[in-house]
Amino acid sequence: MITLIAEKCIGCVKCVKVCPFGVIVMKEKKAVIGDGCTLCGACETVCPVDAITIERVVKDIDLTHYSGVWVVAETEGAQRVKNVTLELLGKGRELAGLIGQSVSCILLGNNVAKFADALICHGADTVFIAESEALSRYTAEGFQPVVTGLIAQYAPCIVLFGATHAGRDLAPRVAASLGLGLTADCTGLSILDGLLLQTRPAFGGNIMADIICPYTRPQMATVRPNVMKMLQPDVNRQGTKVVVPVSIDASTFRVAIKEVRDSCQTGVMKIDEADIIVSGGRGVCTNGGFALLEELAGTLSGVVGCSRVAVDLGFRPKSVQVGQSGTTVSPKLYIAVGISGSIQHQVGMKSSDTIVAINKDPAAPIFQIADFGIVGDYREIVPAFVAEVKMNGGR
Amino acid sequence: MKVIVCVKQVPDTSEVRVDPETGTLIREGVPSVMNPFDQFALEEGVRLREAAGGEAEVIALSMGPPQARSALMKALALGADRAILLTDKVFAGADTWATSLTLAAAVKAAGKPDLILCGLQAIDGDTAQTGPEIAHRLHLPQVTYAEKIMLDGRTAVITRQTDSGYEVVEVRMPALITCTPPADFVPSTPPYSAITRAKKKPYEEWGVDKINIEADTLGLRGSPTQVKRVFSPPRRDTGVMLEGRSAAVIAGELFQALAKEGIL
Amino acid sequence: MITYEFSEEQEMLRQSVREWAAKNLTPRVQEMEKNKEIPHDLIKSMAKMELLCPTVAPEYGGSGFDAVTAGIVGEELGRADYTASTAVFYLVQASWAYLFDKYGTHECKSKYIPPATKGDAFIGIATTEPGIGSDLANMVTTITPNGNRYIVNGEKNYISGVREVKQYGGGHVTIARQNLQAGTRGMTLFFLPLGLPGIDITEDEEMGREAISTGGFHISNVEIPKENIIGKEEKGFYIVHEGYEFARAIIACVCCGAAMKSLENGISYIKERNAFGRPIGKYEGIQFPLAEHYTKISMLRDLSYKALHMIDLEKEGKASRMEVSKTVAMAKMICATWAMQAIDDVMQWQGAFGYNKECPDQAAYRAVRSFTLAEGSKEIMKTIVARELLGKEFITYR
Repeated sequence: MITLIAEKCIGCVKCVKVCPFGVIVMKEKKAVIGDGCTLCGACETVCPVDAITIERVVKDIDLTHYSGVWVVAETEGAQRVKNVTLELLGKGRELAGLIGQSVSCILLGNNVAKFADALICHGADTVFIAESEALSRYTAEGFQPVVTGLIAQYAPCIVLFGATHAGRDLAPRVAASLGLGLTADCTGLSILDGLLLQTRPAFGGNIMADIICPYTRPQMATVRPNVMKMLQPDVNRQGTKVVVPVSIDASTFRVAIKEVRDSCQTGVMKIDEADIIVSGGRGVCTNGGFALLEELAGTLSGVVGCSRVAVDLGFRPKSVQVGQSGTTVSPKLYIAVGISGSIQHQVGMKSSDTIVAINKDPAAPIFQIADFGIVGDYREIVPAFVAEVKMNGGR
Repeated sequence: MKVIVCVKQVPDTSEVRVDPETGTLIREGVPSVMNPFDQFALEEGVRLREAAGGEAEVIALSMGPPQARSALMKALALGADRAILLTDKVFAGADTWATSLTLAAAVKAAGKPDLILCGLQAIDGDTAQTGPEIAHRLHLPQVTYAEKIMLDGRTAVITRQTDSGYEVVEVRMPALITCTPPADFVPSTPPYSAITRAKKKPYEEWGVDKINIEADTLGLRGSPTQVKRVFSPPRRDTGVMLEGRSAAVIAGELFQALAKEGIL
Repeated sequence: MITYEFSEEQEMLRQSVREWAAKNLTPRVQEMEKNKEIPHDLIKSMAKMELLCPTVAPEYGGSGFDAVTAGIVGEELGRADYTASTAVFYLVQASWAYLFDKYGTHECKSKYIPPATKGDAFIGIATTEPGIGSDLANMVTTITPNGNRYIVNGEKNYISGVREVKQYGGGHVTIARQNLQAGTRGMTLFFLPLGLPGIDITEDEEMGREAISTGGFHISNVEIPKENIIGKEEKGFYIVHEGYEFARAIIACVCCGAAMKSLENGISYIKERNAFGRPIGKYEGIQFPLAEHYTKISMLRDLSYKALHMIDLEKEGKASRMEVSKTVAMAKMICATWAMQAIDDVMQWQGAFGYNKECPDQAAYRAVRSFTLAEGSKEIMKTIVARELLGKEFITYR
């Protein structure tokens, strides 16, 4: 329930400007909350005099009317939908099937409505589309109120986010706004006794935990990219598109983006989306070392990643660093070249399907987690492997 | 300027081992350290205090068992002006939601900061949730994944990681920033003189009575998420070593093996 | 019974030095061993960590460590640098700056100690001479008053840090005969800057701890000012022991650090290495020596810190000179031998790799071997302990 204490209101109109659903109006120099409020909380956050309070019942309520598995979509601007969203739709369908519910997707951005069909093809029954110029790039202030508002209004049972930088920025903010639990970086999701069983690694991947949220709805999780399998797109699938009118004024944002430095070109595959990664470490940090890996990655249609030391020494950009202080990846094939395999690196790649390690040191810890280990000089092994792949007609 | 830095004491995950018989964590003998992300946040806080000059103060805030004192003592040795440890049985077992509730209440009780700095995430849980949740509770704007913070009057100019590279953002203080060390960050190791100075700085331990929150919303009881089960990750099958043959032969064997698994 | 407990500050310092060493020292040991040099930026980094001459008062650039705290640093450097080169650099300088600070003149101290604390000079010790090891009474180096100045002649060898002094400046706390009739009762201690005209330095090669230099020097008609005299003239023999005792106790800590680190290396190895279908750590032939070495090194560690604690107590008049000498000698007598035995077994467990140059433990073995001799041989330590047990009338060399 939202309450506006008129005596406290100073008529600063901050809430009016910030309401993404445009339901707050001024009457006699006081704000008045009109019909259609979604309890998104944007106004509560900006009110300088705490005149607006939202009370949400957190526990011991009837949970049965919460229904639906939701996926919060991520796009690369108006370029494309990120794979993680499609993967979550695939997983969402499976979960929804188990509990007899439907799958919805929230699609936020500018000029992104065109993606709705693709989302339906990949498993969505309903796509909520909110478009605004102010949403053309991800910001917590732009996205969170809309997501919170839609969740508050439609009461889904499960909400999934990608565990990307943006997803990990947005999800906790949404969770806090709704007073909900949130499980981060899940690598497994299933249903147990009607509850979402969320499996995630902890302690640097040394241990796994199953987490449940028995008393609050929706149950929310961020999910690592590349872990869930996306469905084959079905062009005959039918779905509903719901356009959510929003009016968002970016000038009300307190965090202003001044400069964008994208190190990877848009449209190029990101390291966390690649299904084959050829990664180099200290052993490759010599002249021409990474060129060999580029060639191998090219041959395999994969991408080149690296360990922290290669970033420290200036051989590769931070955006392709795999590990605890870089990106967590789980490709089908991870080829670690000249990487000793510190625990911090392992955390970032341990869940890869198949791991190949090439290292001259037979005692390198990477061999303990490798499916295939080759002790030797990568300058001989890598070109030989490239030749072998080419001879067999590429990937 | 007043900066509050949230720090957490964590087991050094590079030393954590799993008992092969029981599949549980062996915490015995595992050294506790200040979460490395938090150390970067703290050192940024100290640097910003120096840059701001004037009446500036850095408060290190932590929630944890009494042993977490050592993380705060380190924070003091690294330059924080005072430290507060939130320690109380009712705080125990908190998930990020309950943790952020406790920390946000403590921030309020410690006085209005201009900046709250947190590590992006803690290396034991890796959730990255506590920072944004504190920000929301305090109605503050958040900037996550910050690698560099500069101050321009009341405005913080922040370089942050994004999914596609970096962006530079500006935010008027007060704000909450979660920090992640850039590649060239070398954590400081305080010398003895800094350590002896730290011992003379104000250090307080606060129980639940200090923060004006009802106990049943805190700790395990106040946590919406529950840990159902903890288990050791499925062991990978022992790998195959390809060795003792020429590079060409090994390359051929590797290709065949990957082809057999349907990868190539 | 004297017991001690590390303070919170000391525990924090240990942690801080360990983290510093993990980042700044251990990754460079191989390079240091190859280049036979401690890089200057590493010495500067040690200075920034306040690890150089740390017992010296802050007005001369030190941090006022007590002996136990100085020992903690020694143990950590022994752990982190398997060649022990930085540990030797540290402990020689710490011990002799300690003595220099205690008995030196203000003029001389303020000239040489502050640069040493900043890593821009080295302070060493020069007593040994060709053919004269522990038998100081027969040394040839002499110091002769000449008006307000003193003339030194003679020769010293097996001296640590000669190249470091040549490179950065500084000098050696040196002992020489002043009253030639009085034997050890006529010796004077003084500070000898090795950059003075008349000093000719040569370098030697040793079997271990490659990154710190060892060598000797000829001293021919070298003039030093009166302010360089340390303590009273002709009383040098009595005070030089304080420096030695300090150094010996820290050496014991360095040995503990090196041996414990090696045992840890061994433990991870024997858990992983399989023979006849099981990890070799399952065999009693491995377990028994492991348990024995761990026990001995733990005992040694307690004894080493007890010795350092007694040095601190002596300053407060709570321990006697004799007790300090005896306890230090007990620790120094066994430290290198026990550490070598432990490291030797760890090398053995690792098979041929244990004898490989890439194996850190063999470097530690070679380094620790020097401590059966350096700063008083283990045999001399035994005569000291025996002297305290039997009484002065049983001193061997009288």
